[in-house]
Amino acid sequence: MFRILHDTRFDFIKWWRHAAILTVAFIVLGLGSFALTGGLNLSIEFTGGTLVQVRFAQPPDPAELRSTIGNAEITQFGDPTEYTLRIQSAEAIAEQASAAEGVAKQVEASLRDRYGDGFTIERTEAVGPKVGAELARGAVIAMFLAALVTLAYLAFRFEWRFGLAAVLSTAHDVLVTMAFIKLAQIEVSLTVVAAILTLLGYSGNDTIIIFDRVRENLKKARKEPLYDTLNRSINETLPRSVLTHATTLAATLALLIFAGEVLRPFAWVMTFGVFVATFSSIYVASPILLYIERQFPRKDATGKGLQVSASAARAESQAESAPRPVRGSKAPAGRR
Amino acid sequence: MTNLKYRFLLIAGLVVASVWALWPRTVIERVKRDGVFVYDTVRRVPLKKGLDLQGGMYLALEIDESRGAVANKPDALDRALKVVRTRIDEFGVSEPVVQKVGDDRIIVELPGIDDPERAEQVVQKSAFLQFMITDESNALERALPRLDQIARDVGGPTSSGALGDTARSTVSGLEKLFTPDTAAKAADTTKSDSAAPAIPPTGGPISSLLQRGDMPGEFYITAANVPRAEYFFSLPQIQQAMPPGKTIRWGADTLSIGGTVYRTLYVLDAREILNGEWIQDAKPNNTPIDGTVVEFQLNNEGGRRFRTETAKHIQDYMAIVLDDRVMGRPPVIQSAIGTRGQITLGRRDLQQAQDLALVLRAGALPVPLKIAEVRNIGASLGQDSINRGTRAIAIAVAAVIVIMLLYYRFSGLLAVGALILFVLYTLAVLAGFNAVLTLPGLAGLVLSVGMAVDANVLIFERIREELARGKTVRTAIDEGFHHALSAIVDTSVTTILTAAVLYQYGTGPVRGFAVTLIAGIAASLFAAVFITRTFYLAWLSRTRGAQALSI
Repeated sequence: MFRILHDTRFDFIKWWRHAAILTVAFIVLGLGSFALTGGLNLSIEFTGGTLVQVRFAQPPDPAELRSTIGNAEITQFGDPTEYTLRIQSAEAIAEQASAAEGVAKQVEASLRDRYGDGFTIERTEAVGPKVGAELARGAVIAMFLAALVTLAYLAFRFEWRFGLAAVLSTAHDVLVTMAFIKLAQIEVSLTVVAAILTLLGYSGNDTIIIFDRVRENLKKARKEPLYDTLNRSINETLPRSVLTHATTLAATLALLIFAGEVLRPFAWVMTFGVFVATFSSIYVASPILLYIERQFPRKDATGKGLQVSASAARAESQAESAPRPVRGSKAPAGRR
Repeated sequence: MTNLKYRFLLIAGLVVASVWALWPRTVIERVKRDGVFVYDTVRRVPLKKGLDLQGGMYLALEIDESRGAVANKPDALDRALKVVRTRIDEFGVSEPVVQKVGDDRIIVELPGIDDPERAEQVVQKSAFLQFMITDESNALERALPRLDQIARDVGGPTSSGALGDTARSTVSGLEKLFTPDTAAKAADTTKSDSAAPAIPPTGGPISSLLQRGDMPGEFYITAANVPRAEYFFSLPQIQQAMPPGKTIRWGADTLSIGGTVYRTLYVLDAREILNGEWIQDAKPNNTPIDGTVVEFQLNNEGGRRFRTETAKHIQDYMAIVLDDRVMGRPPVIQSAIGTRGQITLGRRDLQQAQDLALVLRAGALPVPLKIAEVRNIGASLGQDSINRGTRAIAIAVAAVIVIMLLYYRFSGLLAVGALILFVLYTLAVLAGFNAVLTLPGLAGLVLSVGMAVDANVLIFERIREELARGKTVRTAIDEGFHHALSAIVDTSVTTILTAAVLYQYGTGPVRGFAVTLIAGIAASLFAAVFITRTFYLAWLSRTRGAQALSI
């Protein structure tokens, strides 16, 4: 039997302060970037505007292309002969309120003047401002609704402490992903919104699997401090996490490398999502659950509170020591 | 073991059903043969490709209220939907989609279309046909002094920026053009209207733009002056001062006389004698005299009305007005006209005549529509996306298989077997629900492959734990499945809930993603929990009392 990370005894939770600093720093970096350079790079689907993807017979001179289509944002798209021209200026969008396709036709005419038949238009998207605003609203509603529905389900399946911890960790995922999208300058299209929602679902799954184990371990060993139960549960689910993340990562990397330019933003967000999921279920959801337990201790059948505070105190005192097994022996105590 | 037999029967039954669902079948479909669309039988796999994969056009249309508010919009939109659907059905695309979204939008999907401009024309053209009599009473001439005065008070559009540079610069050259052109035109003229009073030669802002045409109610305006004239006639003050019961319409064509290009302007009786509502049939034709024409036929009721009306107007000129443009030169009515007539298109090509005939047959749009969103994807780009997408899927699946085999050995093999069935089932479910495969949908499929193994991994890890605790192989497998189930169900349900929200709020491609995700999760739940388990049970019953499990 070939096993990796089997029967580990890492004290994961001990590192929560470092993890918190790391993630808060990342989020602050992202927010700072928002403050400095404005909001997200939204696609024309949300802002309204025009996108024209052109394939030229000969690789064009970018400067010349820029002078031909003055007000467009010009990006090379894959091959050196492929370009996307994005026109998102306020005037252009206002013009599209009466007829969305107008700007695209102007672009085509300008290209025709300069390049004759030396190009083909492969894709045109023209979105009027009203449609864009509706889509943007739909996307925001979808995000909130997805989070709400998940919370309701978790509250129903687990108890509220777990549900709250899972949702707070989801909120963290949203922030971190936004920061990532901002810092990596990924264009937010509807497909990317889909990727974000999938990421939230995936990360939620990871949290659920650990919490599922915590729920089970709590039933088995009531005397054990929650701190230890959490650590034990994370360690027990570690092989699963590694395997699942490896296969999902293989899939997202395949998309990233082979699926082409159109799906690349989607693939980037999902690849990032694999790491977010791993990180947040261990270092965000679990410490939050611990915190909630400390604030609102649960009573078990005998009326005794779980020993949350004792373990927390121990965590403080051991914070300086190097990583070491929680328990010395290799076999799980009391399981044989 | 009967239980096992039933399990295999169920799996095999589903495989048969899936293969049947995905088997290429013969369908009658509109296909393109030598540039024309014909109905034909084709064999194809019943998996629909979205526009982003096969190329095509997506249009979102809204009621255009820029030229006046529309009363009872929902009703108007419903009627417009019917007209657009009829037109698109006749336009000739395989499997077009025309549907209403919300209360105020019609979406049109035209797969595989290679002439988007023409499609826009056909969809958007109002095709409101009117027959109107040109003004015989010199109403505009008599109103001109009044109109000139208003125009003088308002002032020209020189500083307002309402016109382009060309219009402004030509104003000064106006007088120069005026005299010789009139002379040239007069030489051309075959019918002259001597009864008409001369336009005051001094010329007000409006009257100086106009030159008398060949027939009553007709005026020529040089192409350069058209923007200026349009500006004046669009002023509300001018519109109010227009002669009552009359209306003005531009001609559709330009006219070249003596090297100068003119547009025609017609003054018409505001009351139409008939409109396109009564058209029964229309077809394009090529005639030696008039060039391209559309011949139309009215139904009996329309024919009766037309005969009565035209009988009252013998020797008058009848303008055929399509979407507020006068088509061709108004012909003189020789005798009462019955059910047949034609619209002259002059130099336009037959394609345009075909399209006009099509929209006339389908009927006029009850309200003007504007395009709120348009997406065009070239067919080659779609094919490229398919190729790349399939390659990404193949590589993802291969990578997952390798990881599973390396790590779980024999059990991994069982999982791979289940994974292959998972892909088959997922595709079958998509075909069964008539789902549309989009590029994000392919991505969803790749993702669900990655996530499908998650359930297997959960189970296998659980079995390993149970084995490590010294349980027998059979007990370990039972316990493993039992304990992993709650986590698998919880994760599946939350992902399905998220996907359902995406489906509800997403559009085209994103919906495709949500659908593949839901189908994938449902199939993976079945594959991991049921199929892998069945494989284990079969293995256990063959190797009675196996002591070791390769996992």
